[in-house]
Amino acid sequence: MPLTLYVPAPTRLHRLHPVTKLAGLVAFVIAAFVVDRPLALVPLVAAVFGLIVPAGGLPNVRRLRVMFVLVFVFTVVVWTLFYERARPGVPTYDGLLYGVSTAMRLDTFLAAGILFLTITRVEEVAYALGCVHVPYKVGFTLTLSFRLVPVFFDAALAVLQAQRCRGLELARGGLVQRLRRFVPILVPVLIGALRRADRMAMALELRGFNSGRARTTYLRARPGAADAVAGVLLVATTVGYLALWASGVGRLGG
Amino acid sequence: MRGLRCVYPGAARPALDDVDLELPGGALAVVMGATGAGRSTLANCLTRIVPCFVPGEVTGDIRLLGEPIADRRVGELAGTIGMVFQDFEAQLFSTDVTQEMVFGLEHTGVPPGEMPARVTHALAAVGLAGFEGRDPTTLSGGEKQRLAIAGLLALRPPIMILDEPTTDLDPVGRAEVLRVLAALRAERLTLVVIEHDAQAALDADVLVLLHEGRVVACGAPRTILADVETCTAAGVRAPDVARVFAALGLRDPPLDVETAADRLRAEGVRPRPPAFLPRAATSAAPAVEVRNLGYRYPNGHRALVDVNVRIAEGEFVALVGRNGSGKTTLAKHLNGLLVPTDGHVAVMGRDIVGLPLEELAQHVGYVFQDPDHQLFASTVEEEVAFGPRNLGLPPAEIEARVDEALAAVGLDARDADPFLLDKGVRQRLAVAAVLALRPGVLVLDEPTTGLDSEEQLQMMSLLRDLHASGRTIVIITHTPWVIAEYTERVVLLADGRVRYDGAVRPFFADDDLLAAAAFRAPDVTRLGRLLGCTPLSVEELVSWVPRRTAACP
Repeated sequence: MPLTLYVPAPTRLHRLHPVTKLAGLVAFVIAAFVVDRPLALVPLVAAVFGLIVPAGGLPNVRRLRVMFVLVFVFTVVVWTLFYERARPGVPTYDGLLYGVSTAMRLDTFLAAGILFLTITRVEEVAYALGCVHVPYKVGFTLTLSFRLVPVFFDAALAVLQAQRCRGLELARGGLVQRLRRFVPILVPVLIGALRRADRMAMALELRGFNSGRARTTYLRARPGAADAVAGVLLVATTVGYLALWASGVGRLGG
Repeated sequence: MRGLRCVYPGAARPALDDVDLELPGGALAVVMGATGAGRSTLANCLTRIVPCFVPGEVTGDIRLLGEPIADRRVGELAGTIGMVFQDFEAQLFSTDVTQEMVFGLEHTGVPPGEMPARVTHALAAVGLAGFEGRDPTTLSGGEKQRLAIAGLLALRPPIMILDEPTTDLDPVGRAEVLRVLAALRAERLTLVVIEHDAQAALDADVLVLLHEGRVVACGAPRTILADVETCTAAGVRAPDVARVFAALGLRDPPLDVETAADRLRAEGVRPRPPAFLPRAATSAAPAVEVRNLGYRYPNGHRALVDVNVRIAEGEFVALVGRNGSGKTTLAKHLNGLLVPTDGHVAVMGRDIVGLPLEELAQHVGYVFQDPDHQLFASTVEEEVAFGPRNLGLPPAEIEARVDEALAAVGLDARDADPFLLDKGVRQRLAVAAVLALRPGVLVLDEPTTGLDSEEQLQMMSLLRDLHASGRTIVIITHTPWVIAEYTERVVLLADGRVRYDGAVRPFFADDDLLAAAAFRAPDVTRLGRLLGCTPLSVEELVSWVPRRTAACP
């Protein structure tokens, strides 16, 4: 089972400059953050999902559909019931509106993240971060942690199986007991992770990490016309949404 | 290296002491020795991993290409010396092969224009041409290890160290990596290979034998490996041929099987196997019965197709086949870790579907390949008590089972911290932890992988004892001598189907089957076949040779 979201495909979106992709993610997050009127959010949601489809990211959305639904339902229910602090547990219309808006925003964040990861290799993420002057080691650490997710997932599965062979039953007993049963899973996974991290640090240096020589980069993306177009659209979107926020049109209630 | 000495903090004796070695450029040196002999320490000193990563006091002089390396950082030596580990997963950091390859180039400041040519060349050198753009996680073990080698090769280091590069690989992957080593040697790279298999050392220019941190022998592999006593004392398994010659009192053993057969014929050695070889007695009662088993992974991959295997109580079975042939998938069906998508698996006459795993665990114990996947407790005793406790047994019973299991594996350090034990001991502890559930059937996934020769013997004689006490044993293994000397029956899987199921001797006498498993019979078996018999161990072959009365003067 693939654990990363990157979908290798030669689409126009994939070919965008890594910085443009990163800017897109930031723009969508800002736009969704500043506005909370559901109607104002609709175009944004449409835009994000409208881009996920040509990027080939629908299977990713399908894989994470439970999360989308859970986030949405949970947010709407909680805000509807607890919007009025004075009367918790009593559903209110304002609460419902605010809940729907927050749920839409959270799902937009999620969708924008999926879109970004669908079209961006982790190496490109590091490269883009480098372009915007994030220190290399920070970007690299981020890349490496992405790379390690499937490795640790596999290790955790193996540990789980090994302990089940010794009669460990996770789904039994009260909460405290259940939590205690995670110890035999967590200890081998964590120790294995530490050992591996140690080995990896050695392997990295053996390949010249920290060699003291100036770094060069193989990945060299040149921004093209598509990036210019995308840039204009992204700036327009961000400015538009900031205007909605500043004018108050995009905000619920006063 | 001159007067090299390395002491780890808190260690009783130096990990390396008084090591003087000089390796000529372009040589292939193989370093052998038992666990704790100092092999990895030697490699780590050469790359400066000790003391840069692993604290240790290194004294003496190490020069690479004439340059002293004291006070250099590991990263600074990239491009001068490369090192590959056993754990190939920890050496790959990227999401595609090209990125993996340019990693080192970027960090050592190679101009981008030069990179594509270097990448192409290094990938071709390890037989991975055309793999650019592939996701490393989708590669096989052998391919991953070769990619790790290529990543270093791109930096063009004149010296390369390989620390047990083939230990975690199946025979196919192993052969691939060994071919790469031969090619690198042809390109005049200086190679230092740490190994525990004498077979890999035969062609080396220099063999270095370490024992407790000191060089006990250094010279031509032929001379050192022929000296069975020295090898055994250093915890190294001497080649079969050398052991046969030593047992027959013959001098100067050749190390290749063909020459050895000629020599033995010339010496008038004619093994006479008994007319009837003892066969393993099989009881009628089946311990595990697999009928028409098919298994399809959620991603659609068909791992097993119509597998029928019946394992009787008290058998000792080897499950063999290339990686990806379905061995582990089959083994995981025996104790319910996987549920059949087709067919049935019955344990002690009961279908496993619907049986809770904890109940199955008391019939079929499963020991994973890596003991570190299950050890978590702070003492050996706690570790073993974990299983019985999960069954909700009374304290007195738990105590009794811990005693019994620890006695069975020969461990008495009850308060020791499992994480500080040697790999071989951890492996035995993992077996004890499973034995405490008193399973009648024990399934072990590669129980000897990663152990040194003495630890391997200990593990196998433990299994032999458990078998003698009535347990049914099933092991997954890639090691021919383990199969030949210890098991009674071979089940060979190929592409998810049973390709062979029968006695061990005919298996090793059938070249087609061996090729299908990418296997080579143990040297002693090959030697015997050239002499007209099929022995499974050195002892057996020697016992078949009639005692020569009154040796010629």
